[in-house]
Amino acid sequence: MSDGREEREEQEQRRKWEKEKKDRDDDLDRDWERDGERERRDSRAVEVEALDAAVRAQSGQRTRRSFLVAAAAAAGGYGFYRWLDRSPMNMRLQEPLRHMLRVNAKVSRAIFDERGLAPTYPVAKSMELRTNGNYGLKMDLVPESYRLQMVGVENAGRLPQYVDDVTAWEYQYRVKQEAGPVEHDTKVRPKSEDSAGKADPNGDAGAGLGPMMKGGPASTMVGGRAKGGDQKAPSELSAAMEKMKRRPRGQEEAGMSRSTLMPGTPGLLLKMDEVTSLPHHELVTEFKCIEGWSQVVHWGGYRLADLIAKFPPAKKADGSLPKYVYMETPDGDYYCGFSLQACMHPQSLLATEMGGRPLAQWHGAPMRLHMPIKYGYKQIKRIGLIAYTDRLPDDYWTKLGYDWYAGL
Amino acid sequence: MPEKPKDKEESSESGKPVPEAEGISETLPARMDGAEAQASADEPVVAAVSPDLGQPTTSVPTTPAVRVVSEIDEPAVATIRLEKKHPLAIRWMHWVNFPVLFTMIWSGLLIYWNDSDNAYQHPHAVYRVGVGSLTLVRLFPPWFWKLINAPYRVTEGLGYHFFFMWVFAINGILYVSYLLISGEWRVLVPERRSFLDAIQVTLVDLHLRKGLPPQKKYNGAQKIAYTSVVLMGLGSLVTGLSIYKPTQVHWITTLLGGYEMARWEHFWLTMGFCAFFVVHVGQVILAGWNNFRSMVSGYEIVPATKASLEEERRVG
Repeated sequence: MSDGREEREEQEQRRKWEKEKKDRDDDLDRDWERDGERERRDSRAVEVEALDAAVRAQSGQRTRRSFLVAAAAAAGGYGFYRWLDRSPMNMRLQEPLRHMLRVNAKVSRAIFDERGLAPTYPVAKSMELRTNGNYGLKMDLVPESYRLQMVGVENAGRLPQYVDDVTAWEYQYRVKQEAGPVEHDTKVRPKSEDSAGKADPNGDAGAGLGPMMKGGPASTMVGGRAKGGDQKAPSELSAAMEKMKRRPRGQEEAGMSRSTLMPGTPGLLLKMDEVTSLPHHELVTEFKCIEGWSQVVHWGGYRLADLIAKFPPAKKADGSLPKYVYMETPDGDYYCGFSLQACMHPQSLLATEMGGRPLAQWHGAPMRLHMPIKYGYKQIKRIGLIAYTDRLPDDYWTKLGYDWYAGL
Repeated sequence: MPEKPKDKEESSESGKPVPEAEGISETLPARMDGAEAQASADEPVVAAVSPDLGQPTTSVPTTPAVRVVSEIDEPAVATIRLEKKHPLAIRWMHWVNFPVLFTMIWSGLLIYWNDSDNAYQHPHAVYRVGVGSLTLVRLFPPWFWKLINAPYRVTEGLGYHFFFMWVFAINGILYVSYLLISGEWRVLVPERRSFLDAIQVTLVDLHLRKGLPPQKKYNGAQKIAYTSVVLMGLGSLVTGLSIYKPTQVHWITTLLGGYEMARWEHFWLTMGFCAFFVVHVGQVILAGWNNFRSMVSGYEIVPATKASLEEERRVG
């Protein structure tokens, strides 16, 4: 009885084993497959990772290279600034910067030719000009003692105004009778002035206690901290001046002019009527100071070009005209140089009136220059000398670090 | 390890997709980055594909057999690539401009100090903040001048200003010329959309809103800022010239509203540069190293799926 049953059971058992084995094999197969799958995906991730790393490495390489170049460029730039800043001084300005000012002047002349006319304004817009700078004006000039010295004039020797030595003329001065409306060159508020209603940016009622007011010499534009030493006049000139026992010339910060006349220089001595007989002109222009302010001013006077036409420069051996004009105050404390062309500009004016009134002493009476193609520091007050010259004339503010050209 | 088909070996083996060959990066399927691949290795493959990568992968397999085939077809590619973001010329001109602009501002301050000298009598009429006769503040207060050591250095300021103005001008002219010739202007000049985008971007930056509008190389705010600063540079040159030669170019000076107005404009443009600088540096710091580095090395690491900038340069 049991044989058949046993056989059945045995068969069943075998089937079961086989099934289990098959299942196990299947499982193994599946496991194997899954492991393979995982392996593939893991390896793929690793591969992607490696590729990403390669990108990053490449970036790093580029970055290192670029930062090396950048560091070299930065060092070069720093070196350039350092070189610029430590270049030897030429009239209180680093030589490369001074050189660039000359290049700029050349470019300006080439492009604009200094022939542009400054815009003019209605008289109603004009105002009283600030007084700013009193070099050469510290004493009042006795009007009767005024003469305009002219040197280098054509055929001067044959003119009645000719003298053998223009420097021998003695100007007479007297103590200031009237201070200007604002004599604020010292940057200290005049005691007489009431500060009521005035802005008080320093919170010191304008007493000159603020940092802006302190520390500088009389000059607004150059202080003791300016780099480079004073410009010295040639020693033989100083010696000659000393021998003459006159008041030494060039008493302000920039010192004596190298272009001031040597004693014994022949030329013309003109009275004011030689100028006032020229055609009278009026001009309302904007006066611009390099300090940063500007004012519309009503000028009256005579064209410098007309005076030059009346007393033209002596031609050189080759028939050409001298290139420059030099002007200074009677005491030689303030002086300016110009190109002859700038002086021939139709708006270059020998101003004898300002705001419809005769020029005040503190504005440069009897005659000052107005030249709207130049900054204010070229518009010399109380002109004592006009000299034609072929050598670049000395210039007060140029010696203290400013541009000689100063063209607007 | 899946085998790589020979024909594609070159592009993937090298591991550096050439930035110019935009076609390659566009045709390759998106891949998860390394970290995601590791974390999701046990998950079904479908889930392992990062869904936020935007570009749907066509090679997502459904059966192992298909998958193996597809992996053989598609070689492994990097998830990132180097994007040439800033051309060499732009980088040089950008970095040259940095010290030069600062030299111009510094030397300008040395010059400008002189206008505030003698302030009791003539307080700076031009450089003030105020309406009519009411003046809120005059620029600058004495402590500021002291801080930057400006007093009595006018000649130095003038010397530097009239030296570096050439570098500033030439660099600016070269920059604009390069933009025009290379087509780079297309990524810089704002479109109509940029103005709305700029508002959104600003709100996001101020944490008042979430979600930046889509952008290519620059967002709307950047386009406006970078174009404005170039125009400001032009403005500085023009106002500067009208102050430098107010008699010879008096027609420009007059157009600008006169000499004092031109000085006012020149001054406030400079203040604008300073404001730009502060925001610019702040944003660069926030944007991080990858972005900053690209202004030095030219290359930024971007997701491989990111569209190339070349097309924007070409067609905008």
